[in-house]
Amino acid sequence: MWIWLLAAVALGYAVSRVALGYPRPARRFHSLSRSEVSFLAAAAEATFPPGGEIPPSGLDADLPGYTDRLLVAAHPRMRLLMHLLFFLVEHATLFFPAPGRGGWRRFSALGAEQRAAVLEGWRTSRLFPRRLVFASLRAILTMGYFAFPPVLRQLGLAPYEIRTPVCEADLWYPRIGASRSSLRLSRADLTPSSDGTPIPLDAPLHPAYRKGAR
Amino acid sequence: MSAAADVDLRVFADYDREVREEADVVVVGSGPCGAVAAKELTDAGLRVVVIEEGPPFTPADFDLDGGLSMARTLREGGLRTTLGTVMPTMQAICLGGGSLVNSAICVRAPEFVLDRWCTDFQLAQTRRADLDPHYDAVGAFLGISPTPENVLGPRNLLFKKGCDALGISSEPISRNVRGCRGSGECFTGCRSRAKQSMDISYLPAALRGGAKVLSSVRVERVLVEGRRAAGVVGRVVAPFTGRPSFDVRVRARRVVLAAGCMATPVLLQKSGDLANASGQVGANLQFHPGVAMLGVFPDLVHPQFGATQGYQSLHFLREGFKLETLWAPPAVLAVRMPGAGFALKQRLARVPRSAIWDAIASCNRSLGSVRARSRGLDPKLTWSLHPDDVPILARALYTLARIFFAAGAQVVIPGVHGIPEELHSLAEAEVLRTRRFRASEFLTGGNHAFCSTRMHGDPRRGVVDEFGRCHDLEGLYIADTGIFPQCPSVNPMWTGMALAHRMAGRIAAGG
Repeated sequence: MWIWLLAAVALGYAVSRVALGYPRPARRFHSLSRSEVSFLAAAAEATFPPGGEIPPSGLDADLPGYTDRLLVAAHPRMRLLMHLLFFLVEHATLFFPAPGRGGWRRFSALGAEQRAAVLEGWRTSRLFPRRLVFASLRAILTMGYFAFPPVLRQLGLAPYEIRTPVCEADLWYPRIGASRSSLRLSRADLTPSSDGTPIPLDAPLHPAYRKGAR
Repeated sequence: MSAAADVDLRVFADYDREVREEADVVVVGSGPCGAVAAKELTDAGLRVVVIEEGPPFTPADFDLDGGLSMARTLREGGLRTTLGTVMPTMQAICLGGGSLVNSAICVRAPEFVLDRWCTDFQLAQTRRADLDPHYDAVGAFLGISPTPENVLGPRNLLFKKGCDALGISSEPISRNVRGCRGSGECFTGCRSRAKQSMDISYLPAALRGGAKVLSSVRVERVLVEGRRAAGVVGRVVAPFTGRPSFDVRVRARRVVLAAGCMATPVLLQKSGDLANASGQVGANLQFHPGVAMLGVFPDLVHPQFGATQGYQSLHFLREGFKLETLWAPPAVLAVRMPGAGFALKQRLARVPRSAIWDAIASCNRSLGSVRARSRGLDPKLTWSLHPDDVPILARALYTLARIFFAAGAQVVIPGVHGIPEELHSLAEAEVLRTRRFRASEFLTGGNHAFCSTRMHGDPRRGVVDEFGRCHDLEGLYIADTGIFPQCPSVNPMWTGMALAHRMAGRIAAGG
């Protein structure tokens, strides 16, 4: 009788921990669940807090949005692994709790300092699989952070505008998804190939990375 | 009239029914080896069909964001890893294969490596003198030449400075590039169209010569009739999703598999364990495991400018490693930075004053395997870094630290677990020389893969002979880096192309 009661309580806790209490996201995501959006927002803020030497935060860079786009583009097996990764770090505080009161709460429910401590625990663990989990999560977040144009602009690493020469292959290859019948270029459209002039460091930035582009 | 009608190329949107083709030779894979073979066979007057699973990428299809670019151009979204020693590794899925998203490094395999191949694997005609004419032919076609000084940039020149100060030989890297502007974007596709990737070099030449190119077609099986390869079957697949549609069947007297070291064995296994009397299909998998180090300098380095990989040192090849300069999309490079929170931001803010250099290691004791999964054509890769090969990585990193400090770096970030995250002097870097490391403590990347269908003079011990011809099955050839009997110690593209060039000549001559 007691065993059943305990099992029921445990099940109720598991359900509430995994599924309840997550806020509704402000917009729709293609691949991320409500809980994953909360987790990624928390992880983004812990990994890239606002301020410091590069002012934008992980939330400014919309890391949940980037991750959603990455998931859509990802291979199905990798997509599954990424979902598992988010679930694991969100709930592994049961086994690797954060320091302080309530450190066993799910990652997204922890305070900022506790989140940072949890990530540090994963990062410096003696167990290789834990370090691997951290490296995988941080790789996703870091790629997203650097996809945010203001970050690259601030570092002076934003891509330059480059005028692409039209070569013979461009007469034959349509954009991905288009038919070859959509091609309108002819040999008269060919342009001289690159002359090897180095790109100057003060060259204009690629339009997508200019100030005000996003 | 559009010039599109000039050539026989199919893209995904062009397929509206099943495809039936006949050819003298079908080439599976349009990467460097397959593209060279296709062009040479076409030039010899043979009817050639090239099949590529990926689509052609136009400059408008390139994605400047590192993560999304990898997801679009690489198999398994760029997140493929080995089991055993867990290590990311990559294989491209696009017309032109890896040449679209590599840094165009071309190095001839050293004489001592090819001599060892010949001695240890019973090869008679694969010494450097045998391959040089083929290296020359490919080099002339692609304009392979040393990186010009005006696009080296500080990141590459600091490496030279450090090597010079220590008496370590170094040189500009030879690349298949014409008119490089130093944009440092090799890994996301060259917007200057300077890199002579296969999609704008060898494949157009093959198309002009009359070859037919079927893109977005996944080959699923090699057809066999009696004791001969007789063609391939597969399906049209949608770009990125891989969703299959129309059947494809290409009948040919000869089949050249150039699907890559990680895909060709799977194709053979899925074709009924073909050409595997030796038991070597999928065995002996080797990589050049790579490690990288970031060095922070007092002044701006502007690392985004300059040839992606413009300088190298072959000084330590006999000790098992090659050193190179490196640049990649910042999003990808930053993944190597240790830390989180404000400490991470502080480190990232130093990237403009940083250079990143890497080492690739020859680990002939570290072997693995390629196996077909029960579903699909993605490989299951198993590979373990042999304990005796681990010190090579540590020595390589120590050497990079020496070069960094000799070039004036203030700090280096070695990316190794268990030692300080930042090393501020050569004395501190001594830990790389004196400590015993485990494989799992390094952040390695699986650069270049080889040997999964190795050549051997003895049919009982190899899949193909030194001309890429399968020992077991008439009409079947393999032309990718899987046929290397061991790692080449240097970047493999040029050697793969040279071997494919030689193989194509043999086929054209009726061999």
